[in-house]
Amino acid sequence: MSVAKNTIIVLAVVAAILVSVASIEITNNLMEPVVHPYPGRTYGEINTDAGSPVLGDPSAPVTIVEFGDYQCHFCALWFHNIKPQITEEYLDQGKAKLVFVDLAFLGRDSMKAAHASYCADDQDMYWQYHEVLYESQLDEIDGGWAALSNLRNFAMGLGLDMDEFNECMASDKYAERVERNTAIAKENGANSTPTFFIVGPDDQQIMIRGAQPFEVFKQSISSLNGDA
Amino acid sequence: MIRLVFSDIKFVIVAICIFATMTLLLLIMSEYVFLEPYVVGHIPRGTELGLLLILVIALLSALVIPANVYRILVLNRSKRKMSTGLTGSVVGVVAGACSCGPVGFAVISTFGSVGAVATSFLTAYEVPLRVAAVAVLVLTYATTARSLKHECRI
Repeated sequence: MSVAKNTIIVLAVVAAILVSVASIEITNNLMEPVVHPYPGRTYGEINTDAGSPVLGDPSAPVTIVEFGDYQCHFCALWFHNIKPQITEEYLDQGKAKLVFVDLAFLGRDSMKAAHASYCADDQDMYWQYHEVLYESQLDEIDGGWAALSNLRNFAMGLGLDMDEFNECMASDKYAERVERNTAIAKENGANSTPTFFIVGPDDQQIMIRGAQPFEVFKQSISSLNGDA
Repeated sequence: MIRLVFSDIKFVIVAICIFATMTLLLLIMSEYVFLEPYVVGHIPRGTELGLLLILVIALLSALVIPANVYRILVLNRSKRKMSTGLTGSVVGVVAGACSCGPVGFAVISTFGSVGAVATSFLTAYEVPLRVAAVAVLVLTYATTARSLKHECRI
């Protein structure tokens, strides 16, 4: 009887230890730095392994890679004036897809905002959060609109799990990912925001600097598709 | 003043060069004109006032700078008004140096957070700075015109 009792106690202790170790391991995995979640994802010469999820049909023949900063005035201008046309004519039609890569250089809040976008991505809300950031942008850089408290408010407004979001923000697990994206942008010659690369089916690419009009994107895509 | 200064073709050429150079420079810096991959111009919604101010600054600079060059070279007068006019033009130009653009990128890369603060200021207060530049240029134009009238009468 006492042997059986001891055995049960030992098994219970071992089980408790195993459960603790497993939960610590799971927590560590959740908070481990994530640098490149899409290994090997390259369009033309541009490595986007640390960039955003794809917006649009992943098998679309043309890829638009945008290097941007959430505090950039011209990026917001492009987001409001040009992106809706791109979405309607190319993304929604399966003719092109969009990937956003951070070039977070304008201020300390640029890094935080980019980090927050990936914390939203943990809950499959990257593009919704991306949209809220550009909708909420104010003129002054590091003026507080993208401070941590507001980034939390944006997440709350989207109905994200706030415990998970706050834990992600506190862990800094995407800091290296944002830094990697910024380094990749510079390697590719992006020295202003927004900078776009239109990559065609044959991996030919055209660089577009600035919030250029829709016709420039249309003409670039046509020329890569061999329509022009 | 205009008739007096621009009766000499050299000053007309200087004025045209200043207007053309400043307009093109400001339109490119403020992303109204792009040269690559295609030469294209556009006016995004909500930026019409910025475009108008650019044209006014270029026009005033093209009037004020040759008039002051005329005062200095032809009438041997002081360079004070010239420097005021140039200040107005320079303020008008740097107000368009958006931190998102290549100029802002270079400034931030070189000077770090100080450069970021400076370019952020130029971006956030672009329109008030350009209005101030217009005011300085208008004032310089008025004082130059008055002094030319006075100096030429003597």
